[in-house]
Amino acid sequence: MASGFSEFQASVRRQDGTAIIEMSGVMDSSAEQALNSAYAEATSSPADRLLLNFTDVDYINSTGIALIVGVLAQARKAHLPLVTAGLSEHYQEIFKITRLADFMSIYPDESTALAAV
Amino acid sequence: MTDETTTQQATKRDDAWAKPVDKLTVSDAPIGAMNLNVDGRGLTGPLQGFGQLWQKTYRIRLEGAEVSPQDVVAYWKANLPSLMPDDSRFYPSLTGVKPGEVLLINATLPGMPGGMPVSTGVLVLYADDEAFSVMTPDGHPESGFNTFSAYDDGGVTVAQIQSLARANDPVYEFGFRFLGGGAQQERIWQHVLTGLAGNFGISNAKVDIKKVCVDNRLQWGRASNVRHNAVIRTTLNAPVRAVRRLFGGGAPA
Repeated sequence: MASGFSEFQASVRRQDGTAIIEMSGVMDSSAEQALNSAYAEATSSPADRLLLNFTDVDYINSTGIALIVGVLAQARKAHLPLVTAGLSEHYQEIFKITRLADFMSIYPDESTALAAV
Repeated sequence: MTDETTTQQATKRDDAWAKPVDKLTVSDAPIGAMNLNVDGRGLTGPLQGFGQLWQKTYRIRLEGAEVSPQDVVAYWKANLPSLMPDDSRFYPSLTGVKPGEVLLINATLPGMPGGMPVSTGVLVLYADDEAFSVMTPDGHPESGFNTFSAYDDGGVTVAQIQSLARANDPVYEFGFRFLGGGAQQERIWQHVLTGLAGNFGISNAKVDIKKVCVDNRLQWGRASNVRHNAVIRTTLNAPVRAVRRLFGGGAPA
């Protein structure tokens, strides 16, 4: 894990048919288990969509992006629409260059995302 | 740790990413490199290709080597071309393996006697002290990312290559499944890791390979990616290159 940042954590809650994965800390290789567990919990009961909340994520490296690709691939396979909220401007650019943005709507914050879906 | 220090670290790590680009640009091809199918191409990630999406992880433990993950990655960046096998040559720009740089690749794929030449390349998407990642352009055999990294595992440094990619079009998917393309890919990364370990005095380490099919579906909506196929374009361009060589027509195409 990158020094100076906190360990990755992910929790799941539900609101109006949306399964929300709220994340914090650093998304790198150490985040794999927590993210996959959160995805499994989020999809353990029916949801209309999945929202990834990045508001408290400090840093994402290329392995973290690969983890997000894995979640997105699983969601697409399950026909579960995926939206994101709370990405900084920098990471919105990273999502564009990596072409992740082709497959998910990006909102500035959770309330905007929930109002839009 | 102060907020200022954390902010400085965040800025440094944000600089590890390539700046957004719509199209790749190759201004000067390194000597000996054929520059085809890269300049002007868009990037294509793991979700844009055609074939099954695979995550393949190759690891080698540098047991007994007194070397840090940072040392391994520094050596890797500086010596990537010499670590590649003869049938998959990498040509970094003069700047080296840095975010936003393009590495040209001249390779030979299996499928016919003597192999099929392919000129392509990758963008260095990310690079820090412990890892670097490359992303493929349209027409590349695969669509996705490769991450080269090293980490400490209980006092032993482990070097790792992880690809998250799918065949870019139906022709490549056929080649990976039935013409030996998949096996060649595994052999290439095993060659790189054993060569890397050899540099640090490890001669008998085994490469561990883990393969996970992340998405087994074929994305038929992406079948038209074949119009960018770098093998087909490289093959069709061969007569042009031959004529240019015959008449001394400047730098390689």
